[in-house]
Amino acid sequence: MSVVALAARGEMQSGPLVVIEDLEIRFDKVVAIEKMNLTVQRGEFVSLLGPSGCGKSTLLKAIAGLIRPAGGRLARGDANLRIGFMFQKPLLLPWRTTLDNILLPVEIKLGGSVADRTDHAKARHILDMVGLSNFVDAYPHQLSGGMQQRTALARALMSDPDILLLDEPFGALDELTRETLNEELIGIWQNSATRLHTIMMVTHSIVEAVTMSDRVIVLTDRPARFVEDVRVRSPRPRSPEDAETLSAMKLIRRILRGGR
Amino acid sequence: MMLRFRTPILFALATLAAWQGLVMASGIPEYLLPAPTAILAEVDRTLAVSLGVTFLEATIGFALASALAFVVAVLFVRFHTLEEGLFPIAIAIKTTPIVAIAPLLVIWLGTGWWSKIVAAILICFFPVLVNTVKGLKAADAEYRELFQTLGASGAQEFRKLRIPYCLPYLFSALKISSSLAIVGAIVGEFVGATQGLGYLIMVSSAHLETATLFAAIGAAALAGITLFYIIGAIEHRVIFWHGGETE
Repeated sequence: MSVVALAARGEMQSGPLVVIEDLEIRFDKVVAIEKMNLTVQRGEFVSLLGPSGCGKSTLLKAIAGLIRPAGGRLARGDANLRIGFMFQKPLLLPWRTTLDNILLPVEIKLGGSVADRTDHAKARHILDMVGLSNFVDAYPHQLSGGMQQRTALARALMSDPDILLLDEPFGALDELTRETLNEELIGIWQNSATRLHTIMMVTHSIVEAVTMSDRVIVLTDRPARFVEDVRVRSPRPRSPEDAETLSAMKLIRRILRGGR
Repeated sequence: MMLRFRTPILFALATLAAWQGLVMASGIPEYLLPAPTAILAEVDRTLAVSLGVTFLEATIGFALASALAFVVAVLFVRFHTLEEGLFPIAIAIKTTPIVAIAPLLVIWLGTGWWSKIVAAILICFFPVLVNTVKGLKAADAEYRELFQTLGASGAQEFRKLRIPYCLPYLFSALKISSSLAIVGAIVGEFVGATQGLGYLIMVSSAHLETATLFAAIGAAALAGITLFYIIGAIEHRVIFWHGGETE
């Protein structure tokens, strides 16, 4: 694997952020991903869609550096690319309040020293953004599933990521909560005040993929292979009833059934 | 609070009254079964001092064993080779009955406090070690991945994730070993001592002073229960989140 800095930060507002060429990932002898080619541009919202267990999450974890590829190339647009990762489970520390949970990335980055006033102000600002300003001192077990996942999102935003990797972020939530959170996520992505402009999201909901993303990458079953890159061009905010959204959904369904 | 204990207290009082009545009516000799009032009459300064000595020996042994076991557990989890090499020895210590080792401890350490403290240490060490090792490894792989994505070092992962995560496991072991500590101290006193509940039990049984024996047994039970509840109260304060975990 080679991580190559393609350009210095700031010099490029667009351009490739993640470049994947001929990527192969194995677990022992089982091939999870093979012959994967994918380029994610700065500023894109990309969804990875495919049947469950197809290796979507594995791909995401490889980009995050959690899994080492067996072959091929995985390059980042910037060697110092800051990555935010959000899991399907909130993974909050039950002994910490909401505020302390989202200060965790800062504490880890600082090593020995404690989060200062600037960090606290930033944390409160982010909590405000995800609608948790009234739950700053609550413990995870006092929060609903949706609020726990908002906290997890706030924690991912706390490290000022250039790219946010989301592994079925709201998959465990009920549909109504999921829709609300999806809309808020789009809002945060579009908000130019944050440095976050690029999102990659694993999902197995066609509706979710099409209404949220610029591109939907459709993957095959194990081993995961790139099948189709569907571009969704309908204007935002989108609704599942838009003609263009509907036709994209129809196209993806056809691809998933095997007919190109 | 009072209501919760009312029924058990009533039952206990009824049992004691029946016991007293049975002994008085049947004329069972006191060396076989003393009446509750006769046992109560044996609660004196000697008993209190014996209880205090045994409780202190047990508590010191328990505290030292717990601290030691925790440190060893952390080392085991951080350095796997240590665990591989030393775990069999730990199991060997555990499976050897404390009653078999106690005479040796008295030969080595004398009839004073240390032979009892070490007996308590030997009996308390293993449960705490095993559970702490288990607890330190218990955090979900996904939590570890989260820490990895945040760029945490091994030490940070221990401090901020593994050790707090392990506390419920640690405390359930502490509750088990708190009662065992009393056993260790009393066994040590059986073998060779000049004071303590174990000594009192040996002497009173040799003299057929059954009422004293009963009082000493009651005191030993009280010591175990007290230590158990102290640990339980601390646990309740420290692990406020348990039972309400996110997963």
